Amino acid sequence: MFAVPWLLVAGTLLSPQEAAGEVQTFTLQNDMKVLVLEDHSIPNVVTYFFWRVGSRNEVPGITGLSHFFEHMMFNGAEKYGPKEFDRVMEAAGGANNAYTTKDTTVYTDFFPSSALETVFDLEADRIAHLAFDEEMIESERGVVLSEYTTGMENSNFRYLNTYLTSVAMIAHPYRWSVLGWESDIRSWQKEDLEAYFATYYAPNNGVLVVVGDVSFDEVKRLSEAYLGPIPAHEPPRPVRTVEPEQNGEKRIVLYKQVTSPNVMLAYHVPETGSEDYYPLVLLDSILSEGNSSRLYRSLVDETQRATAVFTYLPPAFDPTLFYFYGVCSKDVSAQELEEGMLEVVDRIVSEGVTDRELQKAKNMRRIELYQGMETLKDKANNLGRYELFFGDYRKLFEAPEAFERVTAADVQRVAAKYLTADNRTVGYLLPPEKEGE
Amino acid sequence: MKTANAATSLRLLVTVLVAAACCSGTALATTGQFKLPEYEKFTLDNGLTVYLMEQHEVPMVYVSLLTPGGAIHDGDKSGLAFLTSEGLLFGTEHYTKSEIEEALDFLGASIQTSAGLEVARITASFAARDREKVFAILKEVVTGPTFDGEEFEKRKSRLLVELAQVKEMPRAVVRDYFHGFLYGNHPYGNPVRGTPQGVKTVTVEDVEAFYSSAYQPSGSAIAVVGDFETDEMKQAVIDLLGDWQATGAPLETIDLSRGIPRHKKSRVLLVDKEDALETTFIIGTRGIPRNNPDYIPLQVVNTILGGRFTSWLNAELRIKRGLTYGAHSGFITNRVTGSFIVSSFTRTETTFEAIDLAVEVLGWLHAKGIDEATLESARNYIKGQYPPRFETPGQLAGLLTSMFFYGYDESFINGFQETVDGMTVEEANRLIKKYFPRKGWQFVLIGRASEIRSKASRYGKLTEKSITDDGY
Repeated sequence: MFAVPWLLVAGTLLSPQEAAGEVQTFTLQNDMKVLVLEDHSIPNVVTYFFWRVGSRNEVPGITGLSHFFEHMMFNGAEKYGPKEFDRVMEAAGGANNAYTTKDTTVYTDFFPSSALETVFDLEADRIAHLAFDEEMIESERGVVLSEYTTGMENSNFRYLNTYLTSVAMIAHPYRWSVLGWESDIRSWQKEDLEAYFATYYAPNNGVLVVVGDVSFDEVKRLSEAYLGPIPAHEPPRPVRTVEPEQNGEKRIVLYKQVTSPNVMLAYHVPETGSEDYYPLVLLDSILSEGNSSRLYRSLVDETQRATAVFTYLPPAFDPTLFYFYGVCSKDVSAQELEEGMLEVVDRIVSEGVTDRELQKAKNMRRIELYQGMETLKDKANNLGRYELFFGDYRKLFEAPEAFERVTAADVQRVAAKYLTADNRTVGYLLPPEKEGE
Repeated sequence: MKTANAATSLRLLVTVLVAAACCSGTALATTGQFKLPEYEKFTLDNGLTVYLMEQHEVPMVYVSLLTPGGAIHDGDKSGLAFLTSEGLLFGTEHYTKSEIEEALDFLGASIQTSAGLEVARITASFAARDREKVFAILKEVVTGPTFDGEEFEKRKSRLLVELAQVKEMPRAVVRDYFHGFLYGNHPYGNPVRGTPQGVKTVTVEDVEAFYSSAYQPSGSAIAVVGDFETDEMKQAVIDLLGDWQATGAPLETIDLSRGIPRHKKSRVLLVDKEDALETTFIIGTRGIPRNNPDYIPLQVVNTILGGRFTSWLNAELRIKRGLTYGAHSGFITNRVTGSFIVSSFTRTETTFEAIDLAVEVLGWLHAKGIDEATLESARNYIKGQYPPRFETPGQLAGLLTSMFFYGYDESFINGFQETVDGMTVEEANRLIKKYFPRKGWQFVLIGRASEIRSKASRYGKLTEKSITDDGY
């Protein structure tokens, strides 16, 4: 608030080049890249440390370790021992969180500008000298088991998605969930964590984004002082496995105490930033963004086969899955909902999308860019995401133009190319069958 | 994720996360004082209160319209306020439901309606350049909804399924169970989305009648925040709602101070979910109204107890013992009174270890009290986390209309730091004595009754129901 206009100068939108120009960058000698965006709208700062490590870097036996590691980053280092990281940060007025995805692990700090140096000190300590206390490992194992259980208990989507993905993907590590399998959560050891730390938490494998009430010079000075001395490591080994092409539909049926069946479809699609990515995002939008979208209109509104329906295209370094999810209305079978979803898909494949639908999806992307710039944390997260997933934060500002270039024919082409039966996995989550039926 | 307070993808809100009902807060004494930006307030001839605040960071405009159409007025038509708010978008004189959705989606704009316990809101967001197009629709949605009968029946039957589905997620319903248990038949115990039994009886005529009483310019407020010039927007708002007139008698006033149950003894409600993997629980009691003068100081106390990551509750249940992914506490405030709740969840096997520990930690408030070092840390935290709560135009629009209804003004924002800095150890411990009872806590547990029934009565008189029973 009381903002220095950033995207706007006198009511005129900055060009992508000008907007991107507000972001300043430098690279430390250890190859850690730092992005800085000064924004004095509130007396606060956010720091987002992005690391190129996620569940795609795991192997069977340590599935979920990236996420567990994320938790362990709060459990003690050299200067600040167990419980000190949070204690010191909160006493300085800061809060923090972190999240792990299949590709990345991100550590987020939100604090008043007076705490800037404290945050650098805390972060540098754990990046350089994380320690693994056995007692903290066991306690944190319980926390992650609870996180696993509460997700399975409270989200049918998560339950179905976890098992369906393990069937749709057969080779690539995207096949297990970010939380991993319960047996691995129960078994991983201190040595697993130490090896992970040495391999992935190298300054040259991370990007720092700082947004807020700071000066570029101050951030540069503190980065050089606190993060600069941490040595670069050997870069991690690339993920070698390439998911083979799917040749034929796969199906999975699961049972859980659900009110009505849940249906999920998954199609293999290319990675974020690839040539087909932009038309796929618009297809995703045309299918399920807003009540005027194809799936909502057809399945929730007109035929009322579903109480809810959406699609999900996750950001991904490697080829991934494009998910469709629907929840049946009363007395509607999973088969009927699946057929309804496939009719919507087939119509796009055969008839394409209208120019108005396409323009609507493009308009939504532009508004999304504005709305992604309203808070310090959204700015930091979006800059970092683009830097990691698109290789350059400036692509964030070029996105509306990239979407403008997509034609209706492009959308139809990617639908026809990827939304095929042979490339599909279908999952049902059904109420348990009663005896005698 | 380290903690569950951050939503991942807006389009992936399948997991309903119960965020900490807490507080806010902040920093080393420091930096710039945080002040509410300037705004203009005036009243239209028809009695509608208007707030305008310019915010030029992004070329967007946000609208928040508040009416008193909340679920406390449901009576025996549980879900009436909710269905009425949903119904505003079922069509108007010039637009069908589909046309409204198509027109807004095309602009990347939105008009959303929602009902709460005491108020209903209509919010809108759109690119500044699209104001005329969106206002043309908004005007009809607010002043002339037609409550199309077919759309109403569709929504009602979907709601009935949703009410069953939501019980698949204990964390999404545990508060409804708790407030039903705490408030009994008092209107503050009403579940906003209704109960199946109540929803089945709501007709389109009921909804039309409720709209006429609950959606009137007098008693309502609109805030517009974003990228505009105030003079121009003033005229636009007059054009938008200047000729809005009440179409019925105003809502009957409910004396909410009457009939609030007082629970001298602890009681336990056990909700059986036979396939549960974990036990979801709330331990709570009566709290405070939103305009209580101790509201901010109590947020500081709550920060220490259960309002942040290193709070006593989270430190004991999560950090030290690994019993849960999170344990929180917070005040839920209404106009006349509110509740205070401690909430967490844990695997079925560790149910009583976790609840016993939570009860023990609650006892520390009286047994140990709060010391200066802890208080200092909490003051800094609550101040440091305060400004981002009012960072976006949408947040500010919501704040302005809440100030209107709940009877506080910008001194709440502008005096926040001073109030927090003025908190002493004596004051904190005085508040504990006044607001946190030693006895009479109410317990709600959702879990596998066959495993936890025998020990659940140790906390108080036990009542049991099945999660599949109607309502909460």
